[in-house]
Amino acid sequence: MTTLIDAPPSDADGILPASKKTSGGGLGQYILVRFLLIFPTIFILVTIVFFLMRITGDPITTAMGGRLPAEQLQERIQNAGYDRPILVQYFEYLGQLATGNFGRTLSDNRAVSEMLATYGSATLELSINALIIALLVGIPLGMIAAQRRDHAPDAVLRVFAILCYATPVFFAGMLLKLTFAVWLGWLPVAGRAKTSSELALTSLQAPTGIYWLDAVRSGNMAALGDVMAHAVLPAVALGLLTAGIFLRLVRTNVIGTLGKDYVEAGRSRGVSEFRLVTKHAYKPALIPIITVMGLQIAVMLGGAVLTEKTFEWKGLGFQLANYLTARDFVAVQGIVVLLAIIVAVTNFIVDIVAALIDPRVRY
Amino acid sequence: MSLVPVNEPVVNPRAPFYRRLPVVSHFQKSVGLQRGMLVAGLILTAIFLLTACFAPLLAPYGYSQLSDADGNFPTQEAPGGKHLLGTTVGGYDVLSRVIWGAQTALFVIVVAVLMSVVIGVILGLVSGYIGGWLDRILVVIADAVYAFPSLLVAIVMAIVISGGQSSLIGGIFAAGTAITLVFIPQYFRVIRAETVRLKAEPFVESAKVVGASNTRIMTRHIYKNATRSLPLIFTLNASEAILILAGLGFLGFGIEPSSAAEWGYDLNKALADTTSGIWWTGLFPGVAIVLTVMGLTLVGESINDLNDPRLRGRKAAGATGGPDSSTAAQAAISADVRGI
Amino acid sequence: MTKSTKTLRGAIALAGVSAIALTACTGPSGGGGTSTEGSGGGTITYGTTDKVVTLDPAGSYDGGSFMVMNQIYPFLLNYKPGTADATPDIAESASFTSPTEYTVKLKSGLKFANGNTLDSSDVVFSFKRVVAINDPNGPASLLSNMSTVEAKDPTTVVFTLKAANDQVFPGVLASNPGPIVDEQVFPADKVMDDDAIIKGKPFAGQYTIESYKKNELVSFKPNADYKGLLGAASNEGANLKHYADANNLKLDVQQGNIDVAGRILTATDVADLEKDSKVKVYKGPGGELRYMVFNFDTMPFGAKTPEADPAKALAVRQAVAHLVDRDVIASQVFKNTYTPVYSYVPQGFEGAAEPLKSLYGDGSGKPSLDKAKKVLADAGITSPVDLKLQYTDRYGTSAADEYALVKQQLEQSGLFKVDLKSTEWTTYTKERRADAYPVYQLGWFPDYSDADNYLTPFFIPNNFLGNHYENPAVTEIINKQLVTTDKAERSKLIGEAQAAVAKDLSTLPLLQGAQVMVAGTGVKGVEMTLDASFKTRLGVMSK
Repeated sequence: MTTLIDAPPSDADGILPASKKTSGGGLGQYILVRFLLIFPTIFILVTIVFFLMRITGDPITTAMGGRLPAEQLQERIQNAGYDRPILVQYFEYLGQLATGNFGRTLSDNRAVSEMLATYGSATLELSINALIIALLVGIPLGMIAAQRRDHAPDAVLRVFAILCYATPVFFAGMLLKLTFAVWLGWLPVAGRAKTSSELALTSLQAPTGIYWLDAVRSGNMAALGDVMAHAVLPAVALGLLTAGIFLRLVRTNVIGTLGKDYVEAGRSRGVSEFRLVTKHAYKPALIPIITVMGLQIAVMLGGAVLTEKTFEWKGLGFQLANYLTARDFVAVQGIVVLLAIIVAVTNFIVDIVAALIDPRVRY
Repeated sequence: MSLVPVNEPVVNPRAPFYRRLPVVSHFQKSVGLQRGMLVAGLILTAIFLLTACFAPLLAPYGYSQLSDADGNFPTQEAPGGKHLLGTTVGGYDVLSRVIWGAQTALFVIVVAVLMSVVIGVILGLVSGYIGGWLDRILVVIADAVYAFPSLLVAIVMAIVISGGQSSLIGGIFAAGTAITLVFIPQYFRVIRAETVRLKAEPFVESAKVVGASNTRIMTRHIYKNATRSLPLIFTLNASEAILILAGLGFLGFGIEPSSAAEWGYDLNKALADTTSGIWWTGLFPGVAIVLTVMGLTLVGESINDLNDPRLRGRKAAGATGGPDSSTAAQAAISADVRGI
Repeated sequence: MTKSTKTLRGAIALAGVSAIALTACTGPSGGGGTSTEGSGGGTITYGTTDKVVTLDPAGSYDGGSFMVMNQIYPFLLNYKPGTADATPDIAESASFTSPTEYTVKLKSGLKFANGNTLDSSDVVFSFKRVVAINDPNGPASLLSNMSTVEAKDPTTVVFTLKAANDQVFPGVLASNPGPIVDEQVFPADKVMDDDAIIKGKPFAGQYTIESYKKNELVSFKPNADYKGLLGAASNEGANLKHYADANNLKLDVQQGNIDVAGRILTATDVADLEKDSKVKVYKGPGGELRYMVFNFDTMPFGAKTPEADPAKALAVRQAVAHLVDRDVIASQVFKNTYTPVYSYVPQGFEGAAEPLKSLYGDGSGKPSLDKAKKVLADAGITSPVDLKLQYTDRYGTSAADEYALVKQQLEQSGLFKVDLKSTEWTTYTKERRADAYPVYQLGWFPDYSDADNYLTPFFIPNNFLGNHYENPAVTEIINKQLVTTDKAERSKLIGEAQAAVAKDLSTLPLLQGAQVMVAGTGVKGVEMTLDASFKTRLGVMSK
């Protein structure tokens, strides 16, 4: 797991102390160790969340505490088995997980796997849309900033970048909604589609849950347009945040490569500054962006909570907040396991990519 | 590749001590746009700090005050007159709550950053120095927590901790601790990496040979070297703390209005207002968040850029050579990347 | 990379174009008429922030699930729109045939939407199932007075009750455990999955479900086979859209994306919508009660405090009752979406009286500082009383503003020093039961429409409040009204019970919630469902 831009992952120091000496322990071994590390990561998160959740109360007290007398409440808690020793419940849960059974949510009675698929696809769609916006805005602007370094455009763009990530996504969302949905009326207020499109998409055989994909498959152009229109504001709200980060990264790295010898050489040969940025300095600068993009996906998957709430986009992050309030620990643990897997796997891939690109990482 | 910290630009070692202080020395090094950004950030941050410190003097009313000698405050009154920025649906004075909110934000930053610095640095030193299984386990745990989206970690912690009551202290500690858990791994990583690197340095070896105790080695040599990268992460974490606090408040896990003023909470409550043409209850807390985070980020980024010879203003760029990257710069970017 | 960037650009361009195209057709409608999107003429789209736990009656005890059940399942007894008296729904008759026997005769030829017949064995199955499953989230406890249920013949069902002449039993049959389900579809021993329920089509209510996305979108179609009390639906179908955020619900009804918005709209939203000519705000009687609870052990001078003194404790409660100004709270915080309440049983119920109005304050509902001063002085309390007051976010975020006002009203008198705190709900409900809070906030939504639902759960021993209040005289009156068959007599007893509690002040009711719905101007029939039965019926709405 690393967010470092051009340095090796720090954990490799700790986990692979010996391999440093056995020079060229090989990519294979590195990948294997990195892969095996996925499991303890998931296990640790699941364990932490399990115990944290249990000390904060049970779902029955939450749901019925304002309604039932003490004995009846106690009886229900006992029926549900929440009064048993916590370690017994913990190992029971681990046993369940080991067999791939996530259980059923306690507060809305559905299979956790189905819940994860439903909300996961929504969050995935939002993340992809936001990533597209982030790339489209962040990369070109970052290159402009690097090229016009220390001039007015650079100043404006850098302040813009900082503004992007200084603005809480819900505040940006609120302003976007007010401007484009309420005041101008160009785009819908919230949600993922209007009722009619949603009904049309629901009737589709084996829907993927990713609406624009479903709309394309159904060939329903009206629905596709509607889904796209709904996707714009949330994607912009979440995407701009990341765009600011990309802008900064591209700028930093392009400036770095612009100072390199081979670029200087190109410059001395009379290659135009524009061409230098777009052709020569651009590509090496992409490496850190790919690295960070991988991490950004993981962050978006869980971190879009605020966007999801603002735009009525029923996804994992928002649902997690709901389930937490309801003390639905089965659902919360399910979501955490999924997020942990996504995060661990993404980091794994990012590290491998980093190792492939830069052999020094491998030790 | 190199992990050498170059947090502070190389300054004349004989310069008076105040010129060697982090921000001051950075200011000296900066030119043009770079200096402009640093100064803008410093001004915004100073305004924030002053507002927070002098909130009791600046705010016309208390954060939970609903009436004065003339009777109850009007509700949802537009800005002007007695209430410069208007009042909320409950009758709170918006200006007062925005000002008091700065204080809450500052408290949370101080609590969160101090706690995570202390715990993170200690864990990082111990883990890096002792090594072995303890180190490996701590690294995996830190990475697991670090990898997980910070706001989600904070929500879980907020629920665990704010199980208590929402007094001012309780609320601030709940939010602060929630954020702490997110930050510890960052400090842990930086310090640990430095410690591991320094441990291999000849001077540590020789200290051992001479018979210096472990504690002495750790405190004297490693700690002194490793903590140089911290000021930068400090500014960036401070801004992240504000965003997480606001996010918690927005989702309803924040601090209640009777205990303290909190921008995110006020923004959440103002959602219904904004679509009903009552713009002042949401706009001002929102702007306060943006300006404060901007100020802190501008300072942090400027420090980072000034530390990085590639990014320093062109005129100064040639002054010092240096490695391509620094731990601090990486930490800075990783802090950005984790934006909510 | 360049190639994929181009593809991405293409996608965005497409999004942009479709956005513009959409603007062209659904841009701000200047005319002000109803601009609801066409999802079939005469189809009503209803939006709510309530959530569904499950569609299985055995597994849910909450308003959101019950709302959907009311559209798709039949009941033995139900409420005719506009009334709050339980009358036979798919039954021909229902009455006490002996003090402990309640006999229901079903209509003949009843069917579920899947073609299965609905007869007395389904009814018996439905009720036995709720009790047998006894789900932690289920409503089994409401059936605690039911001893057995038997089918005498295909159309006759006899409920045997533990306590005789239970006057609330008809109400129970119309409440959460009451939906009749198909014994050929539902398992007898466990709660069924929603998607399995939808596949099984065990619907015999006013509607069947066409498509179902849990807590997102439900699409209903009228059920031609329904022969019950509610009659045929007056629309061609209905959609139920679940919202997570009340503000988005409000914007969507305002912009005509949905026809009707129900439940949990904030006071600010309602006030704003009332000014909007494109929508109409409907208000009906509400069963929600907001009140303060006194813990008789831990409140100032309570039984377990060092300076325990029942007389002084009573004086403190009375002083609080003298000082709160409900009008100000209702108008300032709630913009009159809640109304002041001066009784334990909210207005609109048979037997509701207003004993708190005459006993406390100036006699007309306004506060009285002099009386508060006097009652404390008479009890020998001279210094300001320290009061720890707790509230929670469970009953809407306005609670913060509501209790800030209560604190202010109490402190302005100079008689109290209030330490106001809030706690997150789950911890709150645990701690209040553990006597951690001397005075605290709670709210109540009725299980069924009967005045007793505001008495028995609150004031008899072992009630859910657990605030250590016990008054044998009150218990006796409450138990007596439960079995009094004569309506006028029962109504009188209910009044007496309220008057007796009002003297003790176990709790202090503050506000009663109105049911609020907002609909586009072209929608008819919304007012029909806003009655004291508190049931939302999509079938009465049309456009």
